[in-house]
Parts: sequence; structure tokens; C-alpha cells
Amino acid sequence: MNRRRSWRSPVIVLVLAVLVFPIIFFLPRGSEKLDDPWAGVPERIPSTDHSALMKGPFPDGPSVTRACLECHPDAANDVMQTAHWKWEGDPVLIPGHTTPIAIGKKILINNFCIGIQSNWSGCTSCHPGYGWVDESFSFDDPETVDCLACHERSGNYAKTDGGYPAEDVDLLAVAKSVGRSSRENCGSCHFRGGGGGAVKHGDLDPSLINPRERVDVHMGRHGMTCIDCHKTTKHLITGRSISVSVDRAHGISCTDCHSSAPHADERINGHTGAVACQTCHIPEVAIREATKMHWDWSAAGQDLEEDSHAYLKIKGSFEYEKGLRPEYYWFNGEANRYLLGDKIDPSAPTAINMPRGGIADATARIWPFKVHRGNQIYDTQHKHFLVPKAIGEGGYRTEFDWDRAVRLGSVSAGIEYSGEYGFAPTEMYWPLSHMVTDRTNVLQCRDCHDEGGLMDWKALGYSGDPIHWGGRAIRPVVVLMEPAR
Amino acid sequence: MMRMAHITIVLLLVGVIVALAQSAELPSSIHPTFPLLDEVGANVLESDGPASAMRTCGQCHDTAYIESHGNHASAELREHVEPAGRNLEVGTAEWIRLTCERHVGGGPAAELNRALDDTTGWNWDESGIVELNCFLCHTPNPDNAARIEAIKQGNFRWASTATISNSDVVVKSPDGWSWNAEAFSSNGHVKDGLLPIKDPPDENCGLCHGLADDDPRLPVSLTSCGPEHWSTITTGQIFSSQRLSESAMNLAGKQSHTRAWDVHAERLVRCVDCHRSPNHPAYCENAPVSGPSHLRFKSRGMAIGEFLRRPSHDFSARSSAIDSTTGRPVDPKRRCESCHDSEGIHDWLPYWKRHMAVISCEVCHIAAISAPTHRQIDWTVVTPEGEPRILCRGIEGEKAPPTPDRLIDGFQPVLLPRPELGGGQRLLPHNMISSWYWAEGDGATPVPTEMVRDAYLSEGAYHPEILAALDQNDDRQLDESELRLDTASKVESVKRRLESLGLDNPRIVGEVRPYGIHHSVTRGEPVTRDCRLCHAGDSRLSAPFTLASYMPGGVVPGLVGDTDVGQSGELMMGDDGILLYEPSTSSAGLYVIGHDSQLWVTSIGIFAVILVLIGIFIHGGRRIQAHRRRETEEQQGRLKEIYIYTRYERFWHWLQAVAIIILILTGLELHIPDSFALFGFGNAVSIHSTLGFIVVINALFAAFYHFASGEIRQYLPEPKGFFSQAIHQARYYVRGIFRNERHPFEKTPERKLNPLQQITYLVILNILLPLQVLTGVAIWGAQRWPDLVTGVGGLTILAPIHTLGAWMFAAFLLMHIYLTTTGHSPMANMRAMIAGWETIEEHGDNES
Repeated sequence: MNRRRSWRSPVIVLVLAVLVFPIIFFLPRGSEKLDDPWAGVPERIPSTDHSALMKGPFPDGPSVTRACLECHPDAANDVMQTAHWKWEGDPVLIPGHTTPIAIGKKILINNFCIGIQSNWSGCTSCHPGYGWVDESFSFDDPETVDCLACHERSGNYAKTDGGYPAEDVDLLAVAKSVGRSSRENCGSCHFRGGGGGAVKHGDLDPSLINPRERVDVHMGRHGMTCIDCHKTTKHLITGRSISVSVDRAHGISCTDCHSSAPHADERINGHTGAVACQTCHIPEVAIREATKMHWDWSAAGQDLEEDSHAYLKIKGSFEYEKGLRPEYYWFNGEANRYLLGDKIDPSAPTAINMPRGGIADATARIWPFKVHRGNQIYDTQHKHFLVPKAIGEGGYRTEFDWDRAVRLGSVSAGIEYSGEYGFAPTEMYWPLSHMVTDRTNVLQCRDCHDEGGLMDWKALGYSGDPIHWGGRAIRPVVVLMEPAR
Repeated sequence: MMRMAHITIVLLLVGVIVALAQSAELPSSIHPTFPLLDEVGANVLESDGPASAMRTCGQCHDTAYIESHGNHASAELREHVEPAGRNLEVGTAEWIRLTCERHVGGGPAAELNRALDDTTGWNWDESGIVELNCFLCHTPNPDNAARIEAIKQGNFRWASTATISNSDVVVKSPDGWSWNAEAFSSNGHVKDGLLPIKDPPDENCGLCHGLADDDPRLPVSLTSCGPEHWSTITTGQIFSSQRLSESAMNLAGKQSHTRAWDVHAERLVRCVDCHRSPNHPAYCENAPVSGPSHLRFKSRGMAIGEFLRRPSHDFSARSSAIDSTTGRPVDPKRRCESCHDSEGIHDWLPYWKRHMAVISCEVCHIAAISAPTHRQIDWTVVTPEGEPRILCRGIEGEKAPPTPDRLIDGFQPVLLPRPELGGGQRLLPHNMISSWYWAEGDGATPVPTEMVRDAYLSEGAYHPEILAALDQNDDRQLDESELRLDTASKVESVKRRLESLGLDNPRIVGEVRPYGIHHSVTRGEPVTRDCRLCHAGDSRLSAPFTLASYMPGGVVPGLVGDTDVGQSGELMMGDDGILLYEPSTSSAGLYVIGHDSQLWVTSIGIFAVILVLIGIFIHGGRRIQAHRRRETEEQQGRLKEIYIYTRYERFWHWLQAVAIIILILTGLELHIPDSFALFGFGNAVSIHSTLGFIVVINALFAAFYHFASGEIRQYLPEPKGFFSQAIHQARYYVRGIFRNERHPFEKTPERKLNPLQQITYLVILNILLPLQVLTGVAIWGAQRWPDLVTGVGGLTILAPIHTLGAWMFAAFLLMHIYLTTTGHSPMANMRAMIAGWETIEEHGDNES
């Protein structure tokens, strides 16, 4: 009756179960697999070939934009919501001020070329729009959005004063080339901040267009582009720089892709609570090109020997440094900000964007900074910094007359000018996040934990080298319970 | 106007002084200022004499205690300075000059051997003695070269003063040393900061002990192979925090070596952190408490002041040191296990405890040495410079010191057993250096190097007789292939030269000396996790180690007996006259699974399996032939379906079957990993252990089932008529089965086994299985009950028995599977064991 009983038997299944589970349970444990950073990198969708789609003729920039908007109707409006377009962020509370203020390049000063007020057309050659030549520029016209600056891939596009395309650009050829933004697109402005390659950031310069591994491991070894990390949705590009913002919104972090304990060595992972990844993994910046470290405006106007890395009559004297070893400070991602009209103490350096944080701040970690130090014009009576008009009629670079330049600049910037000016020292902090190295060149224990090491432990708030004295002990905030009634 | 100028100058001067004072602020030393005293206790400023460290430091510290409680002063260093110089009879002055590169003074350098010294005519009153030189270790940036120069010149008294000549306190002029009065305060003390006294920085240790680099910013380089680089020239150890890729050495694959030379140096563990003073109060907290068992901490520790007065300088000795009086290993005080717990971080390693018991941490954590080191020292010849010929390992061209044009590829240390304090022994990486020298007389007294020089050289060139004997290509020079005593005639001519200098019975003696390796430690990736590195036929544990590229005079060197290192290998002659040391794991008392497989076990096993296979092929072939012949024949007997195997019977059978098959496969991988690799060695170990226990547990459950249900009777032969039945069954297998006869015994649920099966299972269940279980559990237990397992002979006995048993199991398994095809139909038995139901022939007249 059971003649045709199946060969299949639950016995075999049971046997395998009894064998497999203990084997798996007792298999030797390998070191745990660290998480996969590539999981955090967005998929690169191939760009559509636009060479057949862009027909022209394109007599000017807006005509290209109109063509783009035919298929991407929301693109310009999306761009117009961003700080890239507005040069101004969402209103935030600035320390020392009572109401939230929307800050950005549009109204801030720095200690390089100082401010854009009265100098729009030169500065706005890096604005992704067409025609911002004075304060009357309308930020509401979609056709003035410059799609090409970020999307052209021909390498033959250039912008000039007011953000207009340079005269001899073949707009049709450029428009046909559009695609996913490359390092070159972002770099066309960000690698040249301060008026030239490598001047401003120290960790961003033209050597990153095609970097060697040693210069940046992400871009050099893995061929990553800016927007792999600065993830972008609806043209809102993430990332933060305390030169123009003070909060952490839309910030990005190494831990977006990497684990917060990515090292096989427990001892090194023990550092990540107090030391930013950047501190060890960016041991030096300005690796290939020297970056500007000091700018003394007070020396301008003299007929001295000119050298773009040492002295220019129109700008003053400079110091540059290559292979820059950073300075280290606590930083919690936020910063203070000098706003036009704030009072200063001219006898001491004024920090224009002091990073916030300290040893007692659990969210702060020790970060590497390039600190750009300057000496710039201020009103000796009102005790606030001034914005000189740099170019054009009455501009300092044309007439070398400080009084006239700041008089004109103050009107544009809307600040008072007493007629008496002097020069006061300033500092600007540039947290470093690029030019990352892997283990081959990271800082080693002794770089910090040894006599004459890189860290000034006392200045950072430690009793002494934490390798001997112990690290900062930050206790969790104890919430006291209300006493029982 | 003048007044203003004066004020300005004064202000400027003040500024300069303040600036100078600030720049003179040296790294923290809280040592107070002190006067420098000479050997009679007078301030050197007044006496203009040499500073005495013993007197100067003796103002506060008990320098006599320090000298007598330390192995630095008492060290009797002779090896390498002269060939096997232990028996070398030299006067104290000569000894001092020979050993000063590595001896800090004091001890034998200060206690004069008057009897011998008188014969040398050394004027001790003029030279002074070499007292213990505190400055060499405790001042930053000591001038060791000046110290050595002073001693070599016989200016012993000034050696300590020369040591501090980098400090501006003392100035050297052609007439000698003179004290710089500017460097002293009005109270006669050395000005603050000029001579900061500290615990020794690594660099100072490195002055005598080998390359120890304190400044990570200066690229590490090995520029000389003098005795001052002792541990580097004898073992290639380098203690530096610098990455190999950043060193100034021409290393093979340099850019990929991003690890530091030593992980401890990298992690800021300094020499003195491990080689520390034993009575240092900072370490008292960890000191074991002797006394009442309820005490966990000894609160009456030594006060810091007491320690500073009498700091013991008996620093933790190297762990391979041996006490010369007792012949037992010296307590090293500090070793890896003093700080590190291997448990928990070696989860990936099966049997980690067993591994830790037989190999030292260094075996894996110093798997390779990246620097070159000495391999062979040939004192039987001298170079034109009058030096012995030295050949190195780990560097292209075998020559030292390394030059940028020669690639350094390092070497893999040889693993030699070293006794442990608690008994037993563990393998430790070593370098072995072979040396040959001329000895004279009846004993093994080495011929002084000077005399060998005289024999070879005359007036700065090779002696004509030497040239005539050694210069084979007549170019009046001795190249590398010529400057070696590799023929009897060469040996004979040098011997004649030595005899002509008055030596009696000169002859060549050779020795091989091992040097333990404890530094150049790595962590993380450079440490291997590849089991097969050791557990394979060409195991690292028995990798031949080159000792010499030629043997002077054809003399086979002996392994020196004055170390604690066990001799577990053999000297072998390789190709081209190379002398090799071949370590043997079995001589070291080890049975390394996967490496030490016994040939006889494997041979017997394979023989048994092949025998069974041949039987199966013949028997099976004949069955197929017989089957084809009778294809049309009628089926004999009636058939019926019976439920023969219960669910549980089938379950335990198949569990055992699968487990044993995988056990045999994994066992095969463990046994011969070079020929059979299926699971990966580490996985195979783990699977094998797990399945072993499953088999044991399953067998126990099955035994319980059989006893409880009475099914055990199946396995018990009935004594009555058993032999005739067995013969009956055997006759069936050799004859009846081919004639399609019926099975002699009907298979019933009450009687499933025929007599031959019964007897086979009796043997397997009572002998083979218990043997496998017992040996298997013992091997597994080698790390849990090491003493017990050693008591029954250890792995050396257990492993071959277990392996042989496994082969027998494999042979049985093949036969068992074949015999399952002898049922009513070839698959009938198999189907029964899977589904429970079997088709069998019904015997009308049941014979059983």
C-alpha cells in the first residue's frame, strides 16, 4: 500500500537542520565587516545626450535657459529657492543679535575682497545667473538662471562680469554638452574663490579637477564627484561653509557614508567622539598649490615690485603657504558671525566667523582649520568694518583713494562712515573637509601625543596630553525629577 | 640723548635676555640644579677635573646601590666584539676599549683585574677608571661619539665629561676638556635647563641597544652596522614610530608598507615603560600583594622619594635571557602578557588557548623583519680593513651596512622553542648568526683578532703568502669569492701563517647563536590570519633558515649551548654549499595538524580504502555480469513491502551518516590541507569539532533508544549456530549473489542485520567509534586540559591514532554503501532507510 511512498522524507530535513545550526553557531568569528561606504554614494544616472536636443540659435544666456525650461520646467524655480541663487540663507539667530537674520554672501563681509556691496559685477561672475550688476537685480526671473555654469561639460564655457557668458563662447556648442555636474563645474567657482585658484579655502583648488590619490582619496582614487557627497535634490545642494552660514542645516558629514566607528582598531575608534575624521585624515592641505594665509590691505597703493603671491598695488601684501599644516580648534558645526555694523575692538584680531564649541560641548570635536588672517579697513570712530568700493569709478583699484572708496561702499552697504578710517586685524576660519587621505598618510599617534605635537592641549582646554591625563569626560545631562509632592 | 640711547640699549638687552630665557626652556624636567663634582667630590669649576657621575649624582641618589642593582653595569659583553670572546683573556683596559660601544661603565669596567692588568702595564693612575655613566642615559642628546673616543684613547676618567659635551657646560680644546664658567650659576650649580636630567628617552637606549628612533620627523636609516646597533645587527629589530614607507631605507615594496616599525613605539610606549625600574611606585598598584588574602592593595608602597634615592636599575631583562648560575630562564618581568590579554581579541582563531600555549605572541605579531641583519660572521679571514667578513640576510648582496643602491627585503625569522617560566616551552622568532673563528691550543680559546690580522695583512696589504694561496685569478686582490677558506689548501696556508706567528695547533671552529626577537611588533593587517601558513606541508614552523652561504674550512658549526633556546632542528647542507637550519616541529614536541601528518598513517589509510574499492569493483562487476546473463530469468520468491525502519532509526542513521561523511571530509582537509581544501582550514577545524560532538550525542541517544526499546538485540549475535550462519551469509556474498539466489536470511523488523553485519557493527561500535571519540575529545581538549592530554602522549600520539581510525571509517563507509545495493534491488535498502519501507523477498521457510 505504501509502495509508492515518496523518497522525500522529513527526516532528511531534520538531519540537515540539526547539523547546520550548530556548525554556523560555532564557526570562527571573523572581524566584523565594516559597513560599506559605497552604499551612501548616490547612483549615477547617465546623462541624456543633449547634442540633438539643443538646436539654437542661442544669441544670449537666457535663450539657452528658455530651451532648458521647455523640458525642465521646474528647474529654474528650484534653483531660485537655493542659497546658490540667493546668496542668502534662511533667517537664523546670530549670536549678539536678537532677531533671525538671513545671511549670505549678499550681505556679509570677509577678510579677502571684503564685500560685494558696490562691487557686484566682479563678484557675481560666479553667480549662477545673468545680469547681477547692481542692487537692482531681480531674483525672480527664471530666464536669468544660468544652467550652463553647473551643467555644461564642454569645458568651453566662461562667465564674466555680472555673470554673463564671455563674449566668444559658442553657446550652442556649450548647450549641446550639458550633463551631470562634474568637479570642473563646481570648481569653476569653488576652486577659485578669492579671485584665483587655491586662494581661499586651502582644501579646494584646481588640483582637484583631476587629483592624484595623495591629494584626495575620494576624488583621486575613487573618481568621486562633488555631488556624490554634496547630495542634491531639486537643485538644493547639501553642504555648509561657516564663511557664509552659521548653522548646521543641510550639512553633510563623513558619517553620511562611513560608520562612526570605521577603524578596525578600538583605540582609534575611541577618538571619534572628540576628534573629527578630518583632523587625522586631512593632515595637510594646499598640497599642490599654495593658498593665501595673510592679506594686509593697509599696504596697498604703493608702487612696489608686484608679485601676485606677495604684493599687488591694488590689493596690498599677501602671504601664501603650500603644504599647509592646519590649526586645530573645537567645532560643533556652528559659528559666530561678524555682521556689518557690529562693533569691534581694533586692538585685537576680530574673528569674522569664530567656530563654536569647546571642550565642554559634547557636540564639538577637534577640527582642522585654515585660518586666514587679514588687516582690513574699518571706521576708527564708529569702530566697525567698512566695505570699500573696489572697481569702477571711485573704486580703490582705479583711484587708490581709500576715503572715496569706503564712502561709496558705505552707501551701498548701508553703514555709517565717519570719514576716519584705519586698519584692524581679522581672522577667518575655514574648516577643512577636502584633500582627504587614507591610512597611508593620516596623522599618527605621535603627531599629536608627544612633546611638540600638533595639538596645544592647554589651549584646547585639557589639563595635559589626554594620552596621559585622560580625555574629556562629558557626562550626560542629568534631568532631575521633580520632587514628589 | 645719550640717556635715551642707554635706556634703549638696556631695554633691548632685557628683551634679549627674556627671549633667551624663554627659548632655553627645555622640555619638562623637574630635576633640581646641581653642581658637577669630580672623583674626589670637589666642584669641577674649582678642580678643573673631570666630572664624576657617581659623585655628582651620588649627592642625592645612592649611586652605589644603583650600580650594584642593575644589569647595565654588570653586563659582561663580549660576543661579537671578538670571536666567541667569552674565554678571551684580556686585561681590563683592553676589555673596556673593546666593549665601550655597548657598555655604560661601572661593574667590570671599574673593578680592576689587577693580576692581569699588571702584565699589560696599563697606567691606571693616568687613565682613571670608567665609572657608571649616568649622563649617557639621563641627559638629552648625549655625545656618545665623544664618550667612545675618550675611552678608545684611554682617557677613561673623562668619559663621563665627554658625554655631556653637547650641553655647552664643557668645551673641548686641543689640550683637553675645559669647563665653561658661563654655564654655572654663582652657587656652583649648572644653570637651570642646560643639563636637564630625565628618565631615558628611547634614543638614549638606542645608543647601545639598536635602532630606536625618538624623532618621528627624521627618516629612520641604518647607516652603520657597528656594535652600538646591537639588537638591529643581531636581529633586525627597529624600535621606531615611523612608517616603513617614510623611512630612509631602500625597502622592497616600500610604498605599501604604511605600518610603523614597531606598534608600541607608534603608540607612544617607550622603552622604559616596559623595561622599567622594578621598584617604581607608579607600578605598585599592579603589584601582587603578598600577605593576608583579604588585602587587594598594598597601601604601604614605596614613597617616591625613597624610590628616587634608590631606584633599582634591574630593568626587566630580555625574556630569552638565562641565569648563568642556575641555568634557568630569567624572569623577564615584562612581556606581552604583562599588559595584553589574548582572550577576546582572538575570536577568529580556533583553539586560541592552545595556540597561545605553544607559540609566543611574537610568532604572529613579528611575522617578518623588514630590516637587514647579520647572518654569518667569518673571523677566519680579514678584509683589507682588518675586519672579519660579515654577510647579512635580508639585503641584496648580503653586505652591511645598507647602502641606498641595495634593496632590503628583510627576512622571516626562524621559530625556535624557548622554555617558559611556568614549565613547557613556546616557539619564539629568532635570528641565527653563524660564526667561524680560529682557535688554538687544546681548548677552544679563540685566536685574538690582532693575530689573525697579522697573519693576513702586512703593511696594510695582504701578506704575499696569503695572496699566493687565496688569489685565484692573480689580480693581486681578494674578491668575495676568493676571500673565503673553502678549500683545504687555503686553510692550510692560513694555518701555516698562524703557526709561523707562534700559535699552537690553530684550527677553525664554528658556532651558531640564536637571538630572540621581541620588538618590531605589528598589529592588524600585517599579522597573518592564514592558518595554512603553519598548518601545511611547507609550514612556516619548519621553513629552512639559511645560516651561511659557505662554511670556512668545511667546519660544521655547533649550536651554542649557553642559551635557553631549545635545539629542535638539524643543520643541513643545501645547494652550492649553503648551510641551512631546518627546524623540526616534532623535535620541538609539537604535532602541528596539517603539517605533521605521518606517512605511515596516510599509507595504511589509503591502502585500506583502495583495497575496499578494488573489492567493490570486482564484486560489483561480477554482479552486473551475472545480472545481464539472467535478464530474462524469473524473479525468485515472492516480494512484500514491510515497514522496517522507524522514523527515529532513520533519523539517527542519517544524522550519523551525514555527520561522519563531513567529518571525514573536514578531517581530510585538516590532515592533508595541501592536497584537499574544501572548507577552508579554519572552518574545517570548527565544523569538525562541532560535528564530532553531534556524532557523540547522537550515538548516546541512539544507544539509549536501542537499550530502552530492546532493539539492541538486533546487534547481538545469537551464539547458537552463529558461525554456520556467518559462513552461510559469506557464501551468499561470494557465490549466491551472482546466481540470483535468495538472501540466506529474511530481513524482518525484528531481525534487520545478518550475522556479518552484526559482527561488523560490534567492532565499529565497540572499538572504532569509542577510539575515535576518545582521541577526538582528547585532541579537542588539548587546550582545556593540557596536562591530561600531555599525560596520554599529547597530539603526537593522539593525532595519528585518530587519523588512522578515520581512514578505517572511510573504508567501512565505502563498503557499507556498496553493500546497501545488495538488497532485493540495488536501491531497495537505500529507499528503506529513507522512507522506512523496504521490498524484500518473502521466505516461505524462514531459515533463521
